Amino acid sequence: MIILLLVVLAGLMHATRSFGPEGQPGSSGTSLALGYLLVTGYFSGLLAKRAGLPKLTGYLLIGMVVGPAALGLVSHPMLESLTLVNGMAVAMIALTAGSELELRELKPLARTVSAITLIAVLGTTCLLTLAIWLSRPLLPFLSALSGREAFMVSALLGIVTVAQSPAVVVALRDELRADGPVSRTALAVVVLADLVVIFLFAIGSTVTKAVFGERADVARTLGTLAWEILGSLVAGAFVGTLLILYLRRIRGGVPMFLLLVTLVIAEVGGRLHFDPLLVALAAGALVRNASEVADALHDQMQVSALPVYVLFFCVAGSSLHLDALAVVWLPATIVVVVRATGLLTGSHFAAKLAGAPPAVRSYAGFGLLPQAGLALALSLLFTRTFPEFGAQGSALTLSVVALNELMAPIAYRIALMRSGEADRGAREEETAQPLLHEQPTD
Amino acid sequence: MKPTRLIWLGVVALALSSRVLAQDLPEGGIDASTASLDAGPDDAPLPDASVDDDASAPGAEPPAAEPPATEPPAAMLAPLPAVEPDPEIAPIVVGRNVVSSPAPLEPEDRPRAVLGTVVGLLALLALAYLGGHPRVQALEQRLGISQVITAGFPFVVLGLLSRRVGLLSDDLLADLSPLLRVGLGAIGFVAGFRFGAQFRAAPGTAIARVAAWATAVPFALVALVCGAALLSFGDELGPDALRDPVFLRDAIILGTAGAMTARTSTGLFRTDDAERLLARVLRFEELAGVIGLAVVAAYFRSLAEASWQLPGTAWLLLTIGLGATIGLIAYAVLARPYAAPDFVVLTLGTIAFGAGIAGYLRLSPVVVAFIGGSVLTTLPSAYRDRVHGAIRRVERPIYLLSLIVIGALFQVDDWRGWALVPLFTAARFAGKWLGARLAARFAGIDLTSDEQQVLAVSPMGPLAIAIVVNAQLLYPGGSISHIVVAVIGGAIVTEVVVQLKSRRTPSGGDGPPPLASIALSSPPERMP
Repeated sequence: MIILLLVVLAGLMHATRSFGPEGQPGSSGTSLALGYLLVTGYFSGLLAKRAGLPKLTGYLLIGMVVGPAALGLVSHPMLESLTLVNGMAVAMIALTAGSELELRELKPLARTVSAITLIAVLGTTCLLTLAIWLSRPLLPFLSALSGREAFMVSALLGIVTVAQSPAVVVALRDELRADGPVSRTALAVVVLADLVVIFLFAIGSTVTKAVFGERADVARTLGTLAWEILGSLVAGAFVGTLLILYLRRIRGGVPMFLLLVTLVIAEVGGRLHFDPLLVALAAGALVRNASEVADALHDQMQVSALPVYVLFFCVAGSSLHLDALAVVWLPATIVVVVRATGLLTGSHFAAKLAGAPPAVRSYAGFGLLPQAGLALALSLLFTRTFPEFGAQGSALTLSVVALNELMAPIAYRIALMRSGEADRGAREEETAQPLLHEQPTD
Repeated sequence: MKPTRLIWLGVVALALSSRVLAQDLPEGGIDASTASLDAGPDDAPLPDASVDDDASAPGAEPPAAEPPATEPPAAMLAPLPAVEPDPEIAPIVVGRNVVSSPAPLEPEDRPRAVLGTVVGLLALLALAYLGGHPRVQALEQRLGISQVITAGFPFVVLGLLSRRVGLLSDDLLADLSPLLRVGLGAIGFVAGFRFGAQFRAAPGTAIARVAAWATAVPFALVALVCGAALLSFGDELGPDALRDPVFLRDAIILGTAGAMTARTSTGLFRTDDAERLLARVLRFEELAGVIGLAVVAAYFRSLAEASWQLPGTAWLLLTIGLGATIGLIAYAVLARPYAAPDFVVLTLGTIAFGAGIAGYLRLSPVVVAFIGGSVLTTLPSAYRDRVHGAIRRVERPIYLLSLIVIGALFQVDDWRGWALVPLFTAARFAGKWLGARLAARFAGIDLTSDEQQVLAVSPMGPLAIAIVVNAQLLYPGGSISHIVVAVIGGAIVTEVVVQLKSRRTPSGGDGPPPLASIALSSPPERMP
């Protein structure tokens, strides 16, 4: 029945697309893509669940199938017009993630988190640099550069490809209702690694530009970094304070206020050169750790979580660059294998060093494998920064993201199931006496 | 009506559409943009006997043995002239592609943007706080504007101001435009859902007769008065002007919007019978409004559209068929025991999908979603109440965000629109009053004075705004902006007048519930 419905929807979509002008969908095209992706994504998630896969893999797969790379039912302009909706989805996911970051609970994990970040993330970055540098014969644009230039570009690509995805980690945690040291450690590490990767990319691109003979403006780089990271955190603190005030004093119309706040984070944040993910994370973390209204916020976010996830991952799937994968599949596969090996081994070693429980040692590293938004954004930035060979470099990074996006969530799901943390959140909710909060009403 | 009848109606509509298509398109199928451009005289579309009766309509070419290749199929009305979208509306209609992508601000511009954002967010917080404060609410009651506030009109002002000061840029407006279409679809879907539910429970031919009077008279009066005013604006008074399709379109839109009534007035006089009557009458009024919009969207089309060139009747049948199809899809999608968040995703997705298809075909999302909602309720399902709950959960934020976009499109300096406001409001009140009197006399049902008063003194609902905004999306240039200003301005004035009237009426009690409660924030209506 579900497959029949998907076929009917695809037929309707195709018929409608055949009617209108190509390339200029306007707002009706965006609405069409929004509705189509929500419904088909939802049912694909159900099919994936029946097949024992994460729902978000279903969302990604259907996005890939109906996107421009395959059936073309959802066109490039349609995807571009969903940018804001996608940005709001990222902000909502990050707000949810931030509202789950309770410092008191994370304190015992701090040693493990910092050890994994240092050893696994930084170590894997070095390994990836080496792997890409050694793969020069497979990457013509690198072999055309001098040794020093090729090494610096490899290092920058290593930084891009090591990036993780808080969105996938949060989505899987929600889907499986997982709770425990493994999921908490993974979430904390990917958030921290997000900051580290942004920092490393800014420094790396400045040094690389200097190697290529361009004037390296270190002060400007540091200023940009400070603005992006510190500015995002300050903006997040401001937004968090507003949320606390709203939830305490006003209470009514919370979904509407949240929608507007995420809209501002996505639109204005981007224009101000803030990282919307960091802004929302910081806001959520402040609400969790500086007020008693975090559960109310979390409950409100849960209401809109499902449409946000479906849409975000369908768009991510549609945006996968399968054409690039066809060209650089071999070096991309090498990078994926090296990355997975580095992150899993590094996490295991770091967790052992920090005295983490066995489950964390064995399974937390799997949470570092998924990739999505940050790696894509950095790939785009790489293309813009180095226009001479940026597109070829991006082909590699985008292919790596495509492979990781499809496979890593499955691996992390299995890890969460095996660690015994899946459904633990649900069980705890059922057994614990619920903390009564006044429910805001419209 | 049996559930299967609506399905058959949809199927018949689709079949008839195919029939008309088959008659009007050259062999070799449909080519959206080139059918009429590339076809030679031999391939020219054949005139459709069923729609050719009024070929002498103004502006239409006389029927010829071999019509030129660029001729559209014969239609009841001449096609509308192509118009460029107003610059204010272009981002919404054409999307982000027409405007430049937003670039990150330069460092020297950032402090101003930061300050603007901080002030904007703080203002939003302060407004929300003040809006909920008992003293402010008491003041609103004293001033007679509480209804206007509750109905969401401050969001229109918010959109208007945000656009004027540059916070709501063209880029952002283009990005928000899908919300407007989804909002229109949601309003139509809810109206259809409730119409279908009522129709299923009690069709009520006597109520339909009351509704016919209560709708037709204000429609005619508003169309007549405001149409005359529109003609005088264009200095085109004369017999030819009356046959101008643009004038006819504008008059129908104005009349249709003016005929709409909100449920808010059911609480106005606190009479249970009157409340029940109006609740049932306004469902039929909404049907009438949807029919008016469907007719406009089907028969008043621009030749410049890069789409199939079909006669108006074919577009009308396509609209019905598409609506029925969306209803069937909604049924297939929603008639299962999902959890509440799942219903939200699927309901939102189905409405957006329907609105998107309608927009793509340049049909009305309101009409298509209305038919879809009606079909959904007519089909057997144990989960109707949960669908209803899901709709209630998503519609309020969507509606309010839509109002922000509507406010951004509002052309406040359109003096012709403002000049229409008093005429529109007066004609509507007069029409409603006369309609109620005539219904009491000729509808074959005894209407008490309370019931007549409820019918006569009633505010306008979201559907009226949806109708004109939808018309603006279909015809994004020319005189349509006057109509939008007139109807939204008229809606606000009407709210205030109704509020003042209710305070003078002893049985007015606590005053009316929110206007937007027609579907938005009131306690859930029991499903019949």
